[in-house]
Amino acid sequence: MLGMVGRAAEGFYQVCRGLWTVFKHSGRPPTTKEFPDVMPELPGAFRGRLALAVNPETGEHLCISCRQCERVCPDKCIDITAHKSPQTGKLELIDFKIDHGLCMFCGLCTEVCPTSCIINTSDFEMSEYSRGALIYDLKRLTLSQEESAYYFAKKDLPPPKPKAKPAPKPEAAGDAGESLAQQPSDVSQQPGPKAEE
Amino acid sequence: MNSAVFEIGKFARLTLLWLCIIFGAVWGVSWSIGVLLPAVILSQSGESGRFWAQLLQALVPVVAVALFVPLNTCYMVLAERRLLALFTVRKGPNRVGPDGAFQTVADALKLLLKEEITPRGADLLMYTLAPVIFFAPSIIGVMPLLAAVSGNHPLFTPVNLPTGVFYILAVSSIPVVGVVMGGWASNNKYSLVGALRSAAQAISYEIPLLLSIITVCLLAGTLDFVQIADNQRGSLLNWNILGGGALTHLGIGSPWWSIAAALLLAACCILLFALYVICACAEVNRTPFDLPEAESELVSGFNTEYSGIKFAIFFLAEYTNLFIVSTFAAVMFLGGGHAPFPGLEDACISGLRGLLAAWFGACTPFQLGWLVNSLVNPATVSQVFWIIVKSYALVWFASLIRATLPRLRIDQLMDYSWKRLVPLALILLIAVTFLKELV
Repeated sequence: MLGMVGRAAEGFYQVCRGLWTVFKHSGRPPTTKEFPDVMPELPGAFRGRLALAVNPETGEHLCISCRQCERVCPDKCIDITAHKSPQTGKLELIDFKIDHGLCMFCGLCTEVCPTSCIINTSDFEMSEYSRGALIYDLKRLTLSQEESAYYFAKKDLPPPKPKAKPAPKPEAAGDAGESLAQQPSDVSQQPGPKAEE
Repeated sequence: MNSAVFEIGKFARLTLLWLCIIFGAVWGVSWSIGVLLPAVILSQSGESGRFWAQLLQALVPVVAVALFVPLNTCYMVLAERRLLALFTVRKGPNRVGPDGAFQTVADALKLLLKEEITPRGADLLMYTLAPVIFFAPSIIGVMPLLAAVSGNHPLFTPVNLPTGVFYILAVSSIPVVGVVMGGWASNNKYSLVGALRSAAQAISYEIPLLLSIITVCLLAGTLDFVQIADNQRGSLLNWNILGGGALTHLGIGSPWWSIAAALLLAACCILLFALYVICACAEVNRTPFDLPEAESELVSGFNTEYSGIKFAIFFLAEYTNLFIVSTFAAVMFLGGGHAPFPGLEDACISGLRGLLAAWFGACTPFQLGWLVNSLVNPATVSQVFWIIVKSYALVWFASLIRATLPRLRIDQLMDYSWKRLVPLALILLIAVTFLKELV
């Protein structure tokens, strides 16, 4: 009998303790994130929508059509159309398509990209009304100069070298692959017309 | 820290807004039907209008309850969601209206517009009647409480019963029938299990509930709500939760056995209150005992198959029952409409009277003075204020319990009632009977 009373008192005490613990939580600031009103602060390494960066300083497109991202993509969601320019004999990017409906945001393409052109942005609001709208073309993928500067700073990437000037340098470095070694020499003629455009 | 205080402030603001809406509406409508319209009729048509005037006055309690129940449910659901959010360190609904004040209104509208689905194989008559039978007792049951909560206001005196407690206890056992009907008629095994659990639970917990109420009635010596409330006039020590005035009779010269009996009686009454709260939680299917609708086990129990307006009625009845149970506790145990400290009540009344005199005393037109005096009666306002504070405090406490305690298992539930609560209630009944004589 006494043991039962003791247990009842113990139970009552424990319930009261629980109630008090829960009650104390009403004095805590809420952890709710009011998302559409207040955007979350994402870390630089966040793997959001893919995009193509341009040189923050000069504004020229960083893609060299090396197709490494296309090759490494496990989902095969990247589709690059490029051709050798008849004038310069160098690879010229015609279109760059990423099907974000297929992409699993693994970030492998950003790792292999030799020029840090393809990057994961912090954008994650990509709802669309159709699957077709999830296929981004070159125009939708390419970031503006300011956006590129923002992401280069945020991701702490080395600033890209301008394509025009360092033409002879990679040759001096020597150890780059054949295509890479070829390219700069081609590029040396490129900036002229591009700058005029 | 600052933002936490901010959230509590928002909750307080919501509460104030909704209480103003609820009681402003009920007050205004009751007054215009019970005082203004009859006065106009009598002044226009003289003696011949007396019948209509009296009919209107008799309608006041019905209209007041019909208006109060949906508004109050809107507030209670919102308050519960906001409180649970506070306790779980969230923000709760805050989109519709200022701070989400009209979230539940939007929800109610949505429920009313939704399609009603009747499951194949359902017993249509019983399926339709179940929500009605579940809901009707909560409206009927409020009636005798009206006189007690309004300080025996002349408009509500007619609905006061000399056996009000008995009446409410009788009426409050009807909803189980509705639950079982709904569970059986919806042709769904989860609903049926929920309904049967509900029946078992309601029968088991009604006994200790009744015993605790009977003990309080024994202490008060009456079954009349108005008298029970009036017996607790004075201060905290006169409330039934502390032995209904047993402690106030003690003086320095009282014999030792009288002091011991009074203290024991107070302890017994506190236990009785705890017993009542536990059983009431079980009676209205609140969380530690919400087995009939156990969302995680039975989808949602007896009302799984209900949608649209029928589900809305179930919902309405559930929250109204919670409010009735809280008000009942406030009247039976917590001193009804009387203030917890001596003198506070008189201060309330005289302060209000002074305010009225200061604001409207100068308004000389006789008509306006009459209007204000009939609209705001300081004694009634004070009573209603204290009963609101106590009832809603208990409702919020139920939310705290819901945020804390996990659900019992069905066998634990039965054990707890029959092996613990019923014997405790019987012991308390006998103890209070003897202690009352000894004090």
